[in-house]
Amino acid sequence: MLHAPIPSQPAIARIVVMQGQARVSGDPLVELTTVLGSCVATCLYDPEARIGGMNHFLLSEPPSSHSQCVVDEHYGVYLMEVLINEMLNAGGAKARLRAHLYGGANLRTGMTPIGTANASFACSFLEREGIPLMRSDLGRNTARRVDFRPVAGQARCRIVEATSIPENRPAPRPVASTGDIELF
Amino acid sequence: MTKTTRILTVDDSASMRALLNHALTAGGFQVDQADDGQSALEWLAVNEVDVVITDINMPRLDGFGLIEQVRAGSRHCDCPILVLTTESSDEKKSRARAAGATGWIVKPFDPAKLVDAVRKVTH
Repeated sequence: MLHAPIPSQPAIARIVVMQGQARVSGDPLVELTTVLGSCVATCLYDPEARIGGMNHFLLSEPPSSHSQCVVDEHYGVYLMEVLINEMLNAGGAKARLRAHLYGGANLRTGMTPIGTANASFACSFLEREGIPLMRSDLGRNTARRVDFRPVAGQARCRIVEATSIPENRPAPRPVASTGDIELF
Repeated sequence: MTKTTRILTVDDSASMRALLNHALTAGGFQVDQADDGQSALEWLAVNEVDVVITDINMPRLDGFGLIEQVRAGSRHCDCPILVLTTESSDEKKSRARAAGATGWIVKPFDPAKLVDAVRKVTH
């Protein structure tokens, strides 16, 4: 007896979002994925435009002149803005954006609770910008893997071994943050 | 008595406006804020200002449109306008320059460099 061939499922293209990156897609066959320790991943989606994106950030230590700060929010605000701008350039509207937040773990006792600072910053940022937080899995002391389907706005967050992520220390202030200025 | 330099910051991100406000007031400037180009034009219609610092990507009226309209008017047509943006493309930089921008600053900004740039364009 002959059987009709089983139609093959379209292949999902997985894009890894590394620390310091932001990616946006309107392709239903794209999945954005990342592994998090104390870093935080922000997943944004616009359910009407059917696009979504993810960033992956770790707040940096401030420059030495800013010794009163525990962390430097400039880089976090920058990466959030990069993600939002890419969403807008892809056809999204800020008023329609919805968010998920993942990560922000404190993996090592006795160290600066940078994961808590990352998570707190991300929550505050979304609140200030008026972007509703639909789902979050933040804090604790476990590493996570996040797979996000940007078009559907659906995420899967799983606990993984901490050994599967690179060591996350507070990053030095990035070179890009020198704020290059050109006067015309 | 020295007059305090008054700056209008234009950005749709409340977080970025807060960072700018902190950096610029710490530098000794008076800071006012608008959340997009249209709000900035309405504010500029009834206020005096020494420098405008504007983002590019904003709802209603973006940074390019704001610069063009300020330059086309008579009230603030000579006011220095610094663009502060995550955009790094030469095409957008050229467009800002053609519209009449005074300078181009790439985020994330360094507070000391930003303050220095404001001082340069106001002297």
